Amino acid sequence: MSEARTFKIKSTLARQLQDPGGSQVRDLERQATARLETHRDDAMAAVVATLDALDALCAEAAMDAGPRVYAQASSIVDVAGYFDTGPLFHAAYSLCEVSDRMLQAETWHWPSIRVHAQALRLILASGCRAGRTSETLLAGLRSINQSR
Amino acid sequence: MARPSTPDRVNLARSKVLLVDHNQNSLDMLSSIFHGFGVKQQIKCGSSPEAVSILETRDVDLVLIDCSMPEMDGYDFTRWLRRETEPPIRYTPVILLTGHAAQSKVQKGRDCGASFVVTKPLTPNVLLQRILWLGADERNLVECDTYVGPDRRVRSLGPPVGMPGRRSGDLSEHVGAATEANMDQSSIDMMMKPMKVAL
Repeated sequence: MSEARTFKIKSTLARQLQDPGGSQVRDLERQATARLETHRDDAMAAVVATLDALDALCAEAAMDAGPRVYAQASSIVDVAGYFDTGPLFHAAYSLCEVSDRMLQAETWHWPSIRVHAQALRLILASGCRAGRTSETLLAGLRSINQSR
Repeated sequence: MARPSTPDRVNLARSKVLLVDHNQNSLDMLSSIFHGFGVKQQIKCGSSPEAVSILETRDVDLVLIDCSMPEMDGYDFTRWLRRETEPPIRYTPVILLTGHAAQSKVQKGRDCGASFVVTKPLTPNVLLQRILWLGADERNLVECDTYVGPDRRVRSLGPPVGMPGRRSGDLSEHVGAATEANMDQSSIDMMMKPMKVAL
């Protein structure tokens, strides 16, 4: 077995960050947040389209649809994760967890997936606002996650 | 000794950043965030193989890549970068972005040699903070048969110097000057010595 070599390197990025000029950190954060916000409507439309595809998979209930369900849930997490979508993000994350675990265990349970899809629809319809309804929905999804 | 503070001003105008994500929406949002950070030179890729071919012909200062992608995922891309390319491109900082980390990928994430893994939900503040961390990175790089990348043995180091947060050597709170007279030795002995008590 060869020995491990350890050394330090100052990256070009580290040097560039210290270049004269530049902008205040808080200004960069503000600009980036404002630019990101211009994508919100497109992102939510993409989430709706993904949910439609997820519903179609649930209706079809094909034997080999597991990886596609996980991919759809993961896609919602990816896009919703750029905004403060609170319960929507958590519900999609829960769907990732439950589908990933079922894929690992090779035991698929469509009702658990359908409950998640319906919860995602309800949360989306309520504008992704956190409240008593979303808390109850998420608590239900958590109990599914713990039982699967 | 006072800790150096987080820099007030930073300059990313000269930085070349490679953004890789198969999800076009995510790629566009990431690109907008980096425009907001003042990064003018962005290379956007929809797949890892495309990113590989770009890095074979030019260098970049930072790579951001999504973990879960078809063909070659972000972990395999980072592993390729750390092992199959020549310095200095081999040591390019890599930030992995992850939404949900599948159980089967956790070990890959640890071993691939990424500089940081950033989990969603993602805000521009968190992303910029990680970039600043990269600028102040005190970690060694490690090269051996089984691993190339930043030293992972940093559990007790805490955040990089200059960034807020606890480190293992930190006192739990500021003690300050004594406000009462020192105890005499007999009082200390009384506290320390076990003694018989007659009941």
